[in-house]
Amino acid sequence: MMIELKNIEKYYANKGVKSYILRHVTTSIKQGEFVSIMGPSGAGKSTLLNILGMLEEPTYGEYHFMGEDITAMNERKRIELYRNHIGFVFQAYHLIDEMTVAENIEAPLLYKKIPGAERKSRIADVLDRFNMVAKKDLFPNQLSGGQQQLVGIARALVAQPSIILADEPTGNLQSAQAEQIMDLFKKLNKEENITILQVTHSEKNALYGNRMLTIEDGVVKEDVQIK
Amino acid sequence: MFKLNLKIALRNLWKYKGYTAINILGLSIGLASCILIFIFIRYQLSYDKDYTNGNRIYRVVSSWKYVGASDFFSQGVPRPLAPAMRNDFSQLEKVAAIQQSEGIIKVHPRAGAAEIKVSEDVYYAEPSFFEIFDYQWLFGKPNSALSEPNTVVLSEKTANTYFGDWRKALGNSINFDNKTDFKVAGIFRDNPKNSSFPLKVVFSYASYNDRNSKSWGAVSSGSECYVLLKKGVTVDQLNAPLESFIKKYYVDKGPGKEEHSFQPLSDIHHNADYGNFEGSTTPYKQLIGLGVIGLFLLFTACINFVNLATAQAISRSKEVGVRKVMGSKRTQLIWQFLSETSMITLLALLLACVLTELAIPAMESLLNENSTFSLFGHPIIFVFLLAMLVLVSFLAGLYPAMVMSGFSPVLAIKNKVSAAGAGGVGLRKTLVVVQFAITAILIVSTLVVIQQMSYIRNKSLGFNTESIAMVSLPTDSLSQLKYNSFKEAILGETGVERVSFCNEAPSSLSSREMNFAYNSSKDADFQVNLKFADDEYFKTFGLKLIAGTPLPKSDTLKGFLVNETLLKKLNVVHPNEALGKIIRLNGHKNPILGVVKDFNNTTLREAISPIVIFSSKNNYRRLAIKLEAKGMVATMKAVEKIFNHTFPNDIYRSRFIDDQLKNYYHTEQVMGVLFKVFSGVVIFISFIGLFGLISFVATQRTKEIAIRKVLGASHLELIKMLNSTFLWLVLIANMIAWPIAYVFISKWLSNFEYRISLSAWPFAIAMFISMLITLLTVTLRSYKAANANTIDALKYE
Repeated sequence: MMIELKNIEKYYANKGVKSYILRHVTTSIKQGEFVSIMGPSGAGKSTLLNILGMLEEPTYGEYHFMGEDITAMNERKRIELYRNHIGFVFQAYHLIDEMTVAENIEAPLLYKKIPGAERKSRIADVLDRFNMVAKKDLFPNQLSGGQQQLVGIARALVAQPSIILADEPTGNLQSAQAEQIMDLFKKLNKEENITILQVTHSEKNALYGNRMLTIEDGVVKEDVQIK
Repeated sequence: MFKLNLKIALRNLWKYKGYTAINILGLSIGLASCILIFIFIRYQLSYDKDYTNGNRIYRVVSSWKYVGASDFFSQGVPRPLAPAMRNDFSQLEKVAAIQQSEGIIKVHPRAGAAEIKVSEDVYYAEPSFFEIFDYQWLFGKPNSALSEPNTVVLSEKTANTYFGDWRKALGNSINFDNKTDFKVAGIFRDNPKNSSFPLKVVFSYASYNDRNSKSWGAVSSGSECYVLLKKGVTVDQLNAPLESFIKKYYVDKGPGKEEHSFQPLSDIHHNADYGNFEGSTTPYKQLIGLGVIGLFLLFTACINFVNLATAQAISRSKEVGVRKVMGSKRTQLIWQFLSETSMITLLALLLACVLTELAIPAMESLLNENSTFSLFGHPIIFVFLLAMLVLVSFLAGLYPAMVMSGFSPVLAIKNKVSAAGAGGVGLRKTLVVVQFAITAILIVSTLVVIQQMSYIRNKSLGFNTESIAMVSLPTDSLSQLKYNSFKEAILGETGVERVSFCNEAPSSLSSREMNFAYNSSKDADFQVNLKFADDEYFKTFGLKLIAGTPLPKSDTLKGFLVNETLLKKLNVVHPNEALGKIIRLNGHKNPILGVVKDFNNTTLREAISPIVIFSSKNNYRRLAIKLEAKGMVATMKAVEKIFNHTFPNDIYRSRFIDDQLKNYYHTEQVMGVLFKVFSGVVIFISFIGLFGLISFVATQRTKEIAIRKVLGASHLELIKMLNSTFLWLVLIANMIAWPIAYVFISKWLSNFEYRISLSAWPFAIAMFISMLITLLTVTLRSYKAANANTIDALKYE
């Protein structure tokens, strides 16, 4: 099992009043699944993704990632997980503005301490796959939104993660570009068996995946497999 | 990784060009000041370090303790001390007496060269002096060269000037004071500039007339004595023998209690209580003061850096967040930011080196140091530069790096890092307060130093100082016979109003003090300052008599004039009471003829001494010439001509009293200039720092400003709003600065017996200046912000 959540709760206490974001979330995600988290604004989707990505800690509950207890994990272990297993894709792309496309893609490899020659070949490989060889020396602000998001995904992929966490990856994109991105995700999931977890508003995007989790008011309402 | 970080750092610096420029400019000016200060301090600390036995060399110095009066210090010792010490102290390996003197050196004409006639500082030294101090000898041996009378050793450069080439000096001789010929018996290499021993012409001690003096009661500052301790002997072990030594030899009880002490060689350049042959000391206090100012400057520049970096931090929060989720450790981020800081520091340091090079000539001329400073002359300066690089990088970079690397990735990625989270607005405000407090302290200090200096310049000294020249006279008996004809000749010149024979002007740094008795057979418990003068002295210098008559026309002692301070010290209330009372002084017994109104007889740092004035032809050293203000230059030319005609064997030397007085305060003048320069630098650094900060605040508050404008705020109201925070900070800074500045300044002023009373003005002006600067900076920048297009600001997000 890749991810196991047991009774995850998240709330903020303010003057004795608890405002819940997540309640009793219990679920598990297997290697190779493509899960879409759906739900209205403020339902707690992003918080759930942040908890899964270890960017936030749950107030209560158990979280096992590849069999390891996250809540008891120290900073160093977590950084190891980031380096080796998790890739993030953001709605606002979050490329580093001062770095070129190639450098942005290279950054996670540097943290993984991958030797220079291999870095070069991996970057070349990814650029080639994403048809962006010509753009490798451009800066993010010289690219369109869709292209920036492609770089964002390339950056997440280059470190060969076992799971990609994507927070509304197409939220800022036009539909044609969005389709391209979603096709890419589906392909990665099918061909490379990468686990993908995306938060989305759009049912159309959700249908690219093979499982749909619907969250409302912090509670999992529906959990359906898509054929 | 490092290469990439470097690249990113450069791109970031380029992206925020304005802030980078501010940072580098402020930092480099601060660094340049620090480097200059360091070069100066290093030079001062390098004095007298070149002797092999340096740590075993001590100078014997003298002091007298008086009841109810301040102690008196002298670098000299009684002449019989050196032989006595050689005899009594088994702990000393060598003892050497050295006597300073001055006179006219003549080098006889040689083939192809005219006669050389120069006035020179000369020394008489025992052979052991050169065994204590290891000079490099080009010719001759220290112990043999100076063992006989009428021999002289010359420094290489001196020998070159006298004889064209030092090799030609060997076996030749030079004439001193038109009396004795001295044979050149040795040549030694010149001391470096940073030496307290400017030896050029050294005669053998055996040729010194007073070498066998038995007088333990007289001390001249020119008679110094150096000792070399035996190996393994500490200076503390000498205390007990020294005490019995003093008891043994000082049998006549004077008013002061004689004491001697061993002064380490390393202290000679830094102890202002005692002088030295070179005639300059820089007390450690001054060096520390400069060092503190340097730190202040560096600190202010670093504050700019921290302020701007933390302000900028928000815009870089996203990068931090992204890097963190990619697996960057916090330490990696810290190093990344630190390397950026070091890069800025490095750039600033390079610029600072350029600035330093540009400023070095100005510093040389300001300090009047007879030496060259250089940036690359000493490896230690490089070490210092490197240390500065590391120190500044950490001082300025560590805090922002800690803050930025500590951002929570979730907030960072969502662009929700607030100004408060980025290092705290409070911290930035505190730093601004510190910066402006330092600025205010320096402004106040500068104002007070300027005020005090102008007070000193303009204070009436109680006598006339304008257009009076002092011409030095030869003092041998043959020349003394010509004094009167010389005087008549000078008086015959047009443009000369009055002339007077005397030993010194009313105010002078050199003084002679002596025991005396007033109306009793017992010596008074303090000494008097002696001034020798003829009957014209009073009129020439415009001194005022408050009782009795002036000096009569006479070459010998007929009676004394005393000053008010003397009577006050003797508890004589009415000046008229003192008239006719007998003063016994140096074997003379004569009545008091008159009382002179107090005048300042030395620098205004010191109080007026008790003074007696009387005639004594044998003690006249100078002719004071009061000139008409018009055509002074021409008159002095004529005076020189008459002098050279009357005293063909002597050398004409003259000096205006004004210049002499100005010279008293050379240190203070230098300090005044330094204060002006450094407070200018600090004001500039604070100014650009504030400008950077307000630019940032304005950008950050663009949206708020836009909303307020939509709600109907006027430009003026917006500018006022932005101003008010900063003005408060500056006000608080001034409040903090005042007491600190007050303590510093009153301490400095207490060096002066005559000083301005501290008023509130410098403090008020400092506040006014810093407020004005703030107002200007903030208004300048916030006007732009207030004028920005509202729609652009609100369109974001």
